[in-house]
Amino acid sequence: MDVSSQARWENLLWAAGTAIFIVVGSILVGYAAKRVARWRGLSASEQRKVYWGFLFAAPWIIGFVVFVLGPALASLYYSFTDYKLGKPMTWVGLDNYRELLLGQGAQGRRFSQAMFNSFYYMAVGVPLQIVTALGMAMLLNNQMRGIRIFRLIFYLPVILAGGPAALLAWRYMFAGNGGFVNVTLQNIAGSFFLFDWIYRAFIFTVEAINSLYAGIAEGSPIGPFKYAVPALIGALVLLSLVRGEWTPGKRARAWLVAELVSATLIILLAARALVADPLDPGLLLGIGALAALGALLADYRDENRRYRLWTLIPPLLAALALTAVFVLGGQTEWSLYIPALLAAAAPVTLVLVARTPAHRRPILGGGAALLIGFIILRLIPGQLDGGRLSILPQYLTLQSAIVQPNSLDYLKTEFAATTPAALWLYGLVALVLGGLAVANNRYPRAARTVALVALAAFSLFAISAVVDGVRYFQAYDQIAQATGQPNYHFSQFRAATATWPDKNRVPLWMTNELWAKPSLILITMWSSGAGMLIFLAALKGVPRAFYEAAEVDGANLWQKFWKITLPMISPAMFYNIVIGIIAALQTFDTIYILRTPQTEDDLASAAFFLFNRTFRQLEIGQGAAVSWILAVIIVLLTVLQFRYNKWVYYEA
Amino acid sequence: MATVSGNAQLSVPPQVAQPNLFLRFVRAVDARALILYAILLAASLFFLFPMAWMAGTSLKTVEEVGQPQLNLLPANPQWNNYAKLLQEDTFYRAYTNSVFVVSVVLVGTVTSIALVAYAFSRLEWKGRGVVFALMMGTLMLPAQATLVPQYVLFHNLGWIRTFNPITIPGFFAGGAALIFLVRQFMLSIPRELDEAAMIDGANPLQIWWYVIMPLSRPAIATITVFLFVGQWNNLINPLIYLQRAELFTMPIYVAQKNNLQESPIPWQDIMAASVLFIIPVLVVFILTQRYFVEGITMTGTKG
Repeated sequence: MDVSSQARWENLLWAAGTAIFIVVGSILVGYAAKRVARWRGLSASEQRKVYWGFLFAAPWIIGFVVFVLGPALASLYYSFTDYKLGKPMTWVGLDNYRELLLGQGAQGRRFSQAMFNSFYYMAVGVPLQIVTALGMAMLLNNQMRGIRIFRLIFYLPVILAGGPAALLAWRYMFAGNGGFVNVTLQNIAGSFFLFDWIYRAFIFTVEAINSLYAGIAEGSPIGPFKYAVPALIGALVLLSLVRGEWTPGKRARAWLVAELVSATLIILLAARALVADPLDPGLLLGIGALAALGALLADYRDENRRYRLWTLIPPLLAALALTAVFVLGGQTEWSLYIPALLAAAAPVTLVLVARTPAHRRPILGGGAALLIGFIILRLIPGQLDGGRLSILPQYLTLQSAIVQPNSLDYLKTEFAATTPAALWLYGLVALVLGGLAVANNRYPRAARTVALVALAAFSLFAISAVVDGVRYFQAYDQIAQATGQPNYHFSQFRAATATWPDKNRVPLWMTNELWAKPSLILITMWSSGAGMLIFLAALKGVPRAFYEAAEVDGANLWQKFWKITLPMISPAMFYNIVIGIIAALQTFDTIYILRTPQTEDDLASAAFFLFNRTFRQLEIGQGAAVSWILAVIIVLLTVLQFRYNKWVYYEA
Repeated sequence: MATVSGNAQLSVPPQVAQPNLFLRFVRAVDARALILYAILLAASLFFLFPMAWMAGTSLKTVEEVGQPQLNLLPANPQWNNYAKLLQEDTFYRAYTNSVFVVSVVLVGTVTSIALVAYAFSRLEWKGRGVVFALMMGTLMLPAQATLVPQYVLFHNLGWIRTFNPITIPGFFAGGAALIFLVRQFMLSIPRELDEAAMIDGANPLQIWWYVIMPLSRPAIATITVFLFVGQWNNLINPLIYLQRAELFTMPIYVAQKNNLQESPIPWQDIMAASVLFIIPVLVVFILTQRYFVEGITMTGTKG
């Protein structure tokens, strides 16, 4: 008997065994449930119901314990170890997470690149997919003969893109020289001068965008611009807040934006801080972040506008987890986690105090004290590289922070090493925004004053940092040119944008690192039919009467789309966005089929990195850490989006 | 019609107002519909073209495939490409492996999902709410969370390089979305039916088999089709677990063909294998597309 038929017979035997196992197991589960029911004093007929219910549900229950719960717990353990299959496990604490989240070492850098790629798929791919799906659905939402056939055709790619065959067809069509896509494009471009211009503009745009993104993903130094980014985010949000509604009690949309921004920042920083070197300022940021997160949670009230006790549980758990992490991570410096505990516990205390109306003031006072405390901690000489913080006051008074514009070494090393200051600023922005969001519900007038002051400070900061950023690039370029040294800021981007593409240039789909991701996105657009069906169902649910009423009022197509269609299908939109973002992190098949040795790293998504690490290199420990990071991100995304889905209209 | 119908005194002989054939055609056609059809056709071209190109390439010669060319179909179709493939042992083995794996998974998964969905829809029992919420909670858990430890589990069981890791988990009602779909359908079956059966002395197992299952056929068909397509296309699990040429299923076979370091790349062979690979999915999809549409709009997943 040959190998494959032997394997099939064995599998059939196992399948039969499994079936028997499930039957016996189900009966046992049923009996166990019945015993519990009897022990809890249920009536005989109730016991029978429990028996049958658990008996039927048992296949899933057993499967859940064996294939989901058990493995998930095991992988949590593996993620703290160095574990290669067949070799003994060694406990390494947080090393895996530290390496991955901080981008340390070759694998850490690869992981951060994979995360940047995944983010690209989310930020560029998902919107394009949504637009395609909505466009298709609107085309199909017409009563016409044969529309069902078109629906079938539009959906077909989804079925086929799940497997390798259609992807291979794309691969062949995308071949750089002489592939169908390029030959067609060149023919079209050659036929008329306007098409030629569009063709070249397309090549130029794609290469410019992707080389810029590659520069950012590689961590090309951006000099003082990094201080401008958080300050600009903060200023923009604050601006919208100051201009927005300020009615107490009623949540303006602007506040939601503020909470969303600060919560995202906080989570990012907390994740970074938890695995950071203890002396890294990121640690303190994380603690501050936990405090702010606690404050955000404390803002939660139920339908009856009452505070709930469970909001205190997450901060307490976070404090415990933080302690556990430090102890398990081998950090015996008590001084490090005591402030952590205090900081995490602070919002809890504050909320407890604020529950009585007479003691409201401590919330703002306590927050301010916390902030000042961090600044003081941050300034302890020697411990936390306090010198770099001098940038903050310099910027706030509109002075340049570049003190030696003539020294290449200074610009390259010393100035580039001021990331802690930038990160600190992120934390400050997060804290201010989060605090304001909380404060607005209780003290709108005080919050407004604080917001105005913060807006002024952030704006000054941003302006100053942008001016310095330009100076930094100019100074660097001048010295590099004079001394004949290569320029290391965004070299790919500069090369790509230096010249206008000439006549013979073709898009190097898939083989070139700048074209790998666009190729993949084109294919996901091609297979966006699942989203289309969801949009189509939503579109069919929009009452005709709305459009008729709008027509009577003289609305045009554009207005009808923005004022009726879009709000009415927002639940479907919301759903498609969530699913799209999650799918972007999990992209695998397309990458596996379309990769080439040159573009593998530029295509790799988080899921592909996981596959590489675990199943090619058999690094189970680190693979488990990756899978947990992924799982946490996905669950957080889902929860966050459901929490902030207030722009979604659900028909009551 | 442009005939004058109005004042009897002013009426003119009809043949004068008769427009020519072309104008009549133009008036009969709704311009908006025409534009819509044009857009729909252009979009269809975009969606169908890769498949057409695949089929066309599979009939070309090596020389043709290596050159830049735009013609969809070759002047001289090489049916031989298919004959060659069908004689290949590895192709036959991969194809039968795929059919085998998909069949086993379908039997196990559909049966267990029908059982579990029955418990969640037709039976009333204490604890149902909790177990059901737990199940719906797993919808949020990404597959990646358990991929790595499952591998360790199967490794310890000695199941690597066997079909077991791919087929056996299905027997435990994998896929919360599909359970949900069947449950929703079963909820819509009238209560009186099982009550009548119960009075006749049937136990829940008998009610499930004789009353509920025959009535749930549309839902069962929907999940069968979903599972079929999902399994037939499944690349990552076979890739991780099979690791042995004799056990390869079609997706790996096709993907491997692409990795051969041959020059020139035998695209015509790859495309011929691809065509044979997608035919079952295509046929199933076209015959059962109604179920797809229903299933997706109901659960929102693509299976």
